[in-house]
Parts: sequence; C-alpha cells; structure tokens
Amino acid sequence: MSASIYKQPRRRKAEFITPPNVLKEKVGTGGLSEEILDKAQTLLENNAVDFRPLGDMYLESLENGIAYAKRAARNGDDHEALIATMLYPSMQLKAHGGMFHYPLITRIADKLIQFLEVIERPDLEVLEIVRAFHTSIRAILHGGIKGDAGRYGDELEKALVDACFRYFEKFPDNKTDLPN
Amino acid sequence: MAYQFNNICVLVVEDNLPMLEITKSLLRTFGVGKIITAKNGREGLQKVKYYNPDIIIADWMMKPVDGISFTRYVRQDTQGINPYVPIILMTGFSEKRRVIQARDAGVTEFLVKPFNARDLYKRILQIIERPRQFVKSDNFFGPDRRRKKMYGFMGPYRRDDDSTDFDEPAPSKKKVSGKKQNHIDDIAMIDRK
Repeated sequence: MSASIYKQPRRRKAEFITPPNVLKEKVGTGGLSEEILDKAQTLLENNAVDFRPLGDMYLESLENGIAYAKRAARNGDDHEALIATMLYPSMQLKAHGGMFHYPLITRIADKLIQFLEVIERPDLEVLEIVRAFHTSIRAILHGGIKGDAGRYGDELEKALVDACFRYFEKFPDNKTDLPN
Repeated sequence: MAYQFNNICVLVVEDNLPMLEITKSLLRTFGVGKIITAKNGREGLQKVKYYNPDIIIADWMMKPVDGISFTRYVRQDTQGINPYVPIILMTGFSEKRRVIQARDAGVTEFLVKPFNARDLYKRILQIIERPRQFVKSDNFFGPDRRRKKMYGFMGPYRRDDDSTDFDEPAPSKKKVSGKKQNHIDDIAMIDRK
C-alpha cells in the first residue's frame, strides 16, 4: 500500500478544547492519605445494609423478564428488548450484591450477564439457563450466604458456566459476534 | 498537604437509596464539603443547573432519565450548565460495548460496581490530575475518547498535528503494536474486578 494514502486531507473537523482545571485549583495538591482511604474502605465494608429486600426486588424483576420472554419469544418480538428485560435486573444483582456483602451473587450474576450479552434469541433453552441462574442467586440470598462461599461457590459458578458452554456447543448459531 | 475537598461540590445521581447513602458516606470521609443528591437523571439536571457541581457521579440505570441520557443532556445543554463538568458513571456493566456507549455519550470516567473506596478515589484522582481535553465535532461533544498516548505507534501519521499529540515514550514502556494499543485505549476506562 502506498504511503500517500496517509497524506490525504482530514475528513473530519474536530476542535480540541482544554477547559481550565478549576477543580485542581480548588483542591490543591497532595492527594488523600492512606489513613483516610482505609477509613473509607472500613466504612464501606461495615455497611449494615440488608440486601435481601433489594435482591428480592431484582430477582422478581428477573423472574418477570423470564416469563415475559417466554410468552413473547413465540410471537417473534424484538429479541434485544426481550433480552434487556432479563439483562437489566441481572446487572443490578451483579452491581449491588458485592456492595452489600454478597460477592458470590456478583460473580454469578456477572456470568449471567456475559451469557445474555452474546445471545441472539432468548429461546426456551436459554430461558431454562437463566432460570437456573435465578434459582442459584435466590438460594444464595435466602440462605444468607455472604462472602465467596469457598468451594461451594466455585462449584456452583462452574456448573452454571458449564451449562452456558453446553448450550453454545448445541446451538452455536445463537451467538452474537460482538465487536472486538 | 492534602487535597482540600471541603471546597468542592459533588452531585450524586442514584436511584438506589442504600447505594446513594454509601456513596455519600465515602465522599464525606474523603472530606467533600458539599454533597448534593438526586434520585434520577431528570432531578439531577435540575440540581446541576441550580448548584453547578464540580463533579457528578451518576448511576447508569435510572428512570425516567438514565445516566447516559443525563450525560448527553449535560454535554449538550445550553441553559447555563457547565458542559465540561466531569461525570463519573457508575454501573454493573463492564462489557466493552457498554464502556464505548458511555464514552460516546460524553462520560469522563467509568466506575464498575461493585467498587471499593480506592476505586472511587482513583476516578476522582484521574479527573483532578489527568483531566481530559474536550472534543467538539459535528456529531460529538465530550471528553477526548483517547485516554492513553500511543507510545508504541510505529506507522505513518495521517494528520498534520498527529506528531504533536504524542509524548516521548517512557524508557521502561514496553512497545506494543498500534492495533493492540488502540484496544488498550478502549478498555482503559474499565477497572475490571
């Protein structure tokens, strides 16, 4: 390829603006001490928020998403919208489980998100897998399983991930090629 | 000397009340002087207009106006809002396409939930010490979406001002191909757990 291709005129006009760093002027220099950061971290770790009501709300939303997708999938509704009804509560479970002492919920919901993000159509087999995730997360929440649950947590996560892999082995076409 | 956060105002836009309280507590521990809160993007916009915050921390998933739409409003608004205000977007999403979506809306930093105190601090630190320049083009206004300098880029430059866009490489910096570095730039906003 000729190097002249790089000498073409600009195709886009973009203006670069450097706003004044007012924030820096206000806060000065020096950062925050490790002591303050440790104090903030301790405060975070010792939060006494009961995640169950919140977790139940997200699980119910996920349950409704599964039920809706089951009804609507047959009608050929917008697949992406159907997946979103399950994806958003899954994201909330992932986001907040770990914030409120349920890191295993975060780990498992993260796997569910990864699965939902690459699914093309929410067929019945997909919904069965999502239901398995739902059941597992519900068991963790209602069992009050805080922390990572050790080997039990690893095995549970592996079993769910294996189910996703088995699905893709069986239905390789139902996988979106996400941009790299 | 330490940062004097007591001089600044931070707006937290979050519909999840426990999460809102935790974020407030962290900011208070950091010494932030004024913390304003809003339950969704719509309320957040009113607060932005009224308080002119120095930093905004917003959740992604909110109704009726989510964090992405809120960010677009802030960047595009002409009613006296500071369009350069740094916005940290909090979300459970960490997939690359979501980061790109947030970046294209004009988000300054991306904070993946669950996060710890240092994660939040790091984002604030980035905003203070490494502020992004802004880009204004026909279809985008927001922080420059290229975070890192492409130290390892070995190919020819296409634009006249390209050569001024890159610093000298640090001696210890490992050289990577331009393509690979671009990928690193894209995911630079994520601090995956």
